[in-house]
Amino acid sequence: MSDILQQIQEAIIKRKRAEIQGLVETAIGQGIDPNAIIDNGLIAAMDVVGQQFSDSEIFVPEMLVSALTMKMGLDVVKPLLLKSGNTQSRGTILMATVKGDMHDIGKNIVIMMLEGAGFKVMDLGVDLTVEKLMEQIETVKPDIVGLSALLTTTMPEMRRSIQVLKERGLKGKVKVMVGGAPVSAAFANEIGADGYGADATEAVELARRLISDL
Amino acid sequence: MKSTPYNLVMSALYKGMKGNRPPAGNPTSIVCHGLMDACGISFPEAHLNPQAMAELALAGHEILGFDTVMPEYSVDQEAAALGCEIDWGDRDRMPDTKFFPHADFSDVVVPKDFVEKPSIRVVLDALSILRRHVGGKVAIIGKVMGPWTLSYHVAGTQNFLLQIGMEEKEKVKKMLRQLMPATIASARAQFQAGADIVVLADHATGNLVGAYHYEEYLLPIHKELTATIEGPLILHVCGNCMDRIEMFADAGFDAYHFEWQVDAKKAVEKVGHRMCLVGNVNNAETLYQGTPDDVYKQARYAIEAGVDIIGPECAIPLATPMENLKAIVSAVHEGY
Repeated sequence: MSDILQQIQEAIIKRKRAEIQGLVETAIGQGIDPNAIIDNGLIAAMDVVGQQFSDSEIFVPEMLVSALTMKMGLDVVKPLLLKSGNTQSRGTILMATVKGDMHDIGKNIVIMMLEGAGFKVMDLGVDLTVEKLMEQIETVKPDIVGLSALLTTTMPEMRRSIQVLKERGLKGKVKVMVGGAPVSAAFANEIGADGYGADATEAVELARRLISDL
Repeated sequence: MKSTPYNLVMSALYKGMKGNRPPAGNPTSIVCHGLMDACGISFPEAHLNPQAMAELALAGHEILGFDTVMPEYSVDQEAAALGCEIDWGDRDRMPDTKFFPHADFSDVVVPKDFVEKPSIRVVLDALSILRRHVGGKVAIIGKVMGPWTLSYHVAGTQNFLLQIGMEEKEKVKKMLRQLMPATIASARAQFQAGADIVVLADHATGNLVGAYHYEEYLLPIHKELTATIEGPLILHVCGNCMDRIEMFADAGFDAYHFEWQVDAKKAVEKVGHRMCLVGNVNNAETLYQGTPDDVYKQARYAIEAGVDIIGPECAIPLATPMENLKAIVSAVHEGY
């Protein structure tokens, strides 16, 4: 791998926010393909960060700064993709925290990682009612809906969302992935979700898998 | 020792004599729809009116059979008194902080009349009502937020964690230190109003932040808090905290209220000789989705492991069936 991509990775892993934009500009100046900068620089670094998080070497504060650093790098490359028309999205994902739950850090990290991985992501925010979620699904027609909950008190909203999707005949047309501290694979399965991600890295993997199943 | 609810809880707290059974206790909310219906008091009224707050807490003892009464159901009472905008929720939704007045990390000044602010006063009045009803008979538990949780409220959780990630150490330490007087004032006032024990909830949650964050930022502050607040304190921190559980004992807390993610046997082995352990029946899978038998088995596991006071691991989901909560009480009534 080229030296500069290595340095980009390191800047994200080591949370060197001040350096990332300059490094990405240098990579562009060296004529490296923007997609290679994203895949082999930015996303590759976040895979390492995700692994460190899974291994409890780092925690959410460090993860947030790495994700922010990645996003700063992504913002430098993105205009080039737009200019070249090389913007094939890997799929559209709606993300929200369910009704009654105001917690969004996990969701925000997942969004940054999904964007980095090439998905088009729409953030519907927190405390989202099932009715509003259905409206958005019918308008945007996403490939995947990602639902987050931090509170055990709000987990029932996930079940309700999937029930309403079924009633409206949308289940199957859109895949549902769920996550959040109290959520488990068993709970996801029981409420009829299409998948569960224990952390942001798993969520990205899951999204890739769900898209390839479509 | 007489095996009254009060005696059982207080003796277990200090790891003293054992009565004829372990106590069932709730450092955090055990309010569910069933309990609200059974006593005719609902959220949000029970967050805002002292009589309603006290009556709902009392229902936890009289209807469910817990040996404690704990009248603070939200984590937002101090936040409201510090100028945060609170959405007090409804029957189906817990309160939440909507506006963070110190997102810019501007100086926080705890007002002189902090404990007279309505959201603090309501808890103090509820504790006094409970004292008049069940003082000396049932253990009365108060609850305050520690500086870490209050930082989430005044600065926003993501924002606060981001500053930690960016290693803005002085900024973070200053914020925590500025919020300490709120925790101290609130805890002292709760003891004076009638609490036997106060829960200090400080969400340096396992899996969210590391043991190294706790050690650097919060351990020194917790040591000061336990030295300054005279009455017995139960620390509540969510998540898997096995990696920092010994630091909680070092900090000087009398007890730790812990989650199912921490194995009861391992927790007892590590710190059971240094502090009382309270918990740790699982909320999401067992209390909310499981059967009374599942709950009973977990409670018995905790008792046999040597957990001192048995209860849910954290504030329970509102849709938790009452039968599942009663299964905790059945398990403790079987004795040791």
